[in-house]
Amino acid sequence: MNTESNGMEKESIDKSSRRDFLVKTAIVGGASALAVAGAAATASLAGKSGGLPGVIHNAAEKIRPAKRPLEKVVPTFCAMCGPSGGCGIYAIVRDGKFVGVEGMKECPINNGRLCAKAHAAPQWVYSEQRLKYPLRRVGKKGEGKFERISWNDALDTIAARLKEQKVEYGPESLAVLSPAHRTYSPYMYRFLTAHGSPNYGHSGICAMQRAFCFSYTLGSSTRPDIRNTKLLVIWAKQPVYAGSSKGAVHELLEAKSKGVKIIAIKPTMEPDVALADIWVPVRPGTDAALALAMLHVVVGEKLYDSAFVEKWTYGFERLEKHVKKYTPEWAEPITGVKAEQIREVARLYATTKPACVDYGNGFEHATSCNDALRAVAILMAISGNLDKPGGDLLGGATGGGGEGRKSFTLRERYTPELVDKLVWPEFPKAFQPMTEGTSSAYYGIFESVLTEKPYPVRAIIAPGTQPTVTTRGTHRVIEALKKLDFYVVVDVTRTADMDYADIVIPVASMYEIDHPFESTGNGIMARNKVIEPLGDYKSDYEFWIDLGVRMGYGKDFWNGSIDECMKEQLAPHKITMAELRANPHGVTFEPMTEKFEKYEQVFSTPSTRLSRAPYLPQGRVAIYNTTFEENGFSPLPEWVEPPESPTATPELLKRYPLVFSDFHTSKVYTAGWLRNVPYLREVMPDPTVQLHPETAKSRGIEHGDWVIVESLYSSMKVRAEVNPGTRRDTVMALHGWWQGCDELNKPGFNLLEGGANANSMYNTRHPQAWDPVVTANSSQTLVQVKKADVQPR
Amino acid sequence: MAEQLGFLLDSRRCVQCHSCQVACKAAHGIEFGVSWRKILDYWEGDFPHVANRAISLSCLHCEHPACVEICPAAAISKRPEDGLVVVDRNECVGCRNCYEACPYGAPQFGADGKMQKCDLCIDRRAAGKQPACVATCPGDALAFGEMGELAKLAAKKHAHRLKGKTDPAAFVALAVANGKPADDIGPFLRALKPQAKKLS
Repeated sequence: MNTESNGMEKESIDKSSRRDFLVKTAIVGGASALAVAGAAATASLAGKSGGLPGVIHNAAEKIRPAKRPLEKVVPTFCAMCGPSGGCGIYAIVRDGKFVGVEGMKECPINNGRLCAKAHAAPQWVYSEQRLKYPLRRVGKKGEGKFERISWNDALDTIAARLKEQKVEYGPESLAVLSPAHRTYSPYMYRFLTAHGSPNYGHSGICAMQRAFCFSYTLGSSTRPDIRNTKLLVIWAKQPVYAGSSKGAVHELLEAKSKGVKIIAIKPTMEPDVALADIWVPVRPGTDAALALAMLHVVVGEKLYDSAFVEKWTYGFERLEKHVKKYTPEWAEPITGVKAEQIREVARLYATTKPACVDYGNGFEHATSCNDALRAVAILMAISGNLDKPGGDLLGGATGGGGEGRKSFTLRERYTPELVDKLVWPEFPKAFQPMTEGTSSAYYGIFESVLTEKPYPVRAIIAPGTQPTVTTRGTHRVIEALKKLDFYVVVDVTRTADMDYADIVIPVASMYEIDHPFESTGNGIMARNKVIEPLGDYKSDYEFWIDLGVRMGYGKDFWNGSIDECMKEQLAPHKITMAELRANPHGVTFEPMTEKFEKYEQVFSTPSTRLSRAPYLPQGRVAIYNTTFEENGFSPLPEWVEPPESPTATPELLKRYPLVFSDFHTSKVYTAGWLRNVPYLREVMPDPTVQLHPETAKSRGIEHGDWVIVESLYSSMKVRAEVNPGTRRDTVMALHGWWQGCDELNKPGFNLLEGGANANSMYNTRHPQAWDPVVTANSSQTLVQVKKADVQPR
Repeated sequence: MAEQLGFLLDSRRCVQCHSCQVACKAAHGIEFGVSWRKILDYWEGDFPHVANRAISLSCLHCEHPACVEICPAAAISKRPEDGLVVVDRNECVGCRNCYEACPYGAPQFGADGKMQKCDLCIDRRAAGKQPACVATCPGDALAFGEMGELAKLAAKKHAHRLKGKTDPAAFVALAVANGKPADDIGPFLRALKPQAKKLS
């Protein structure tokens, strides 16, 4: 069977209409690019190989003399994954216009390589979807009517409202929603702490769930030592799409070419699975059952490292008894993985030395998130792979927490009283704060607005995040946005939720500012301004600093000076921003030498809780977790069914026979952004649901058809992507679809029923929707799929 | 003729990220709806014993290009200095015969109806840069160079000269079932051909 990965759009356009389509879109694209840039009309004739993205190469171009206009090259960072350290680029500016990027060979993160998104940056920067100036809502919530206001007006309005609410309802009435981790995230923490609120709304579905479970089981997160391993398990991770140029792809391909055995555990065959020797096509949300059954095999068949277990683990004998019931035969109907394959994989993993597990975000989308992660951590420990070359290295992301010196997030000011004010703690209060700081579950903040329990949050600031598409329970989120007293959206482009905002803050793209400095992995590099801001912008960093000053927290915000802010952060490196900028590829630090078997040190790491009691009270791997037990949680990992699944709710199968889940990474989009960028939209033109050929055929569905996917709670209208690399009982969609793309005549989508919003499909109010310890939110439900009556062309 | 230039396409290292395609479009400012480089995706077997591979394909600058032969306007030519197949868009009459003749579906047509396609980044290389697709590839799945040099690299990578009646200037390393390099690239290409035809 053949499919062409970007062929769907073409199939929908018949030959006669295709030409007209192209004429129209090309003109729209070219015109808008020129209009926004205000560039000279000759810009489209810039050199033989040049031209603006979207501008047609015409015949005239070839015969005109090649006039090479003023070109400059700016070393900086790509920003298409969001404001964070990342791939080094050379941005090319021609006649004052940002026209392209080249990979920076000297940057150790990407070594000159770039992903698709990086090359489309100019189209994103010059997009018609850019916000241009601060806005104040003048219509009803959701109506989308705004007026232009000044920055002073915007900041004064926000500050006045927050001050009022602080007096009336207390500082905890303010919550800030976290985007994925950005280099401005610590500024948000700093602001909240200065204000007196603990309500940093962390997603509950990303990174911290892994950090938490690994820290409380192994004393630290782990890093897979892929370079030195013999067996690599890729589990619930997408190493290829999640930053393909950041080294993960290269590392994986090098492992493959050296003959490292690769096991991939996830529901669909993605390009990394295609490289694997063994594919374990686990049903979405059932990784905990699979890991428990693997423990059953490793423990029952005595394939563990008994010396390590004896010396460095606590509670192994209780695990022995506990996992007796989790046989591979028990796991088969839950996970959809054959018992024989579970045995094969468990044995291979436990008997190949060294082996490592590259575990990902997929774990953090299930009711049994903490169970799955703890079970994986225990597998690593008892198999004897912990902190050995080629195994799972300790001393990763956790354990620091800013002790010893003043922290940027002001966490030294945390008190038990502050922690107690958390509106819906992401981790139980007894475990707060975690590594980044105190946190409430992102979604829980919206629930508090509706239920007013334990109190209603009154103001939400939402920077670089779009709660109506990036978190579950869209219906509830929209209800809450309608009820909320004060909502501020901060972003570069229009967002899915901005029609509910009282104030909209337009921030500069990272190509329009010259701060902050960012990490290059083993060094730091200054961000350099590529072009002057195209609108009335400040940076994300400046927004928080300026708002801090307006609130009267000037002392904590360098009295409004971004230069002083950079200076303070650079002081430990003994370098100024100017000196750093003089090095186009930044400065490199002495690489840390890897030390192995640091058990004594890591297993006694103080936790980030206020008490700073160690993560592991016994100084050994917490197989049996007494800290969890003391706080009322299961001391051993268990299996917990998602709200709906073939084994949890078999009665639903007649009406909703298929398991539904969604992907969180894609090759060309960043979460709910970038659908407006034509060069990227061409690669993935329409939202899709992935189906097995038999699942499709039995419903009369063909590749490319528009289909209705219906759950108990919502529905989507998307296109069928039919391929055999999908379980017959499972369909998968990509989250984050809402935005149109004018240049390609692609409309936007409804956020609720009949749209393309995967996050509207789940029930967030079901008692089993949440992991009780880490507030991970189930991304699994049951659906039916049928061919749509109307097939849009 | 001096040495022919060509590509080495290693499908075992292609992770379907589409970076080459977008880098190509950005480097040449290609209009919407047209791509000089495409990622062709190929499935084999059935769940759960499935193989999925992809290959990034553009004009392969054939040694005996069918497009040159069939073009009624003599708009397509093979450069003597490096064997690149180039189109003079002033001469192109937009008849699309080249598209029909090309076994790889390389010729593309945009709003002006004239043929456009990969020129192996003549301008970029003149400025000392690699072709956009090669420079960006996160998996190092693409290489370019003189065919003699590429042959040495191909030997190391167990890549094969792509066979075809037009003698495409390309070495290809394919992986099919179980990720093992295939000696016989016939099945892949037979599967590839109809989709290559579907492209524009």
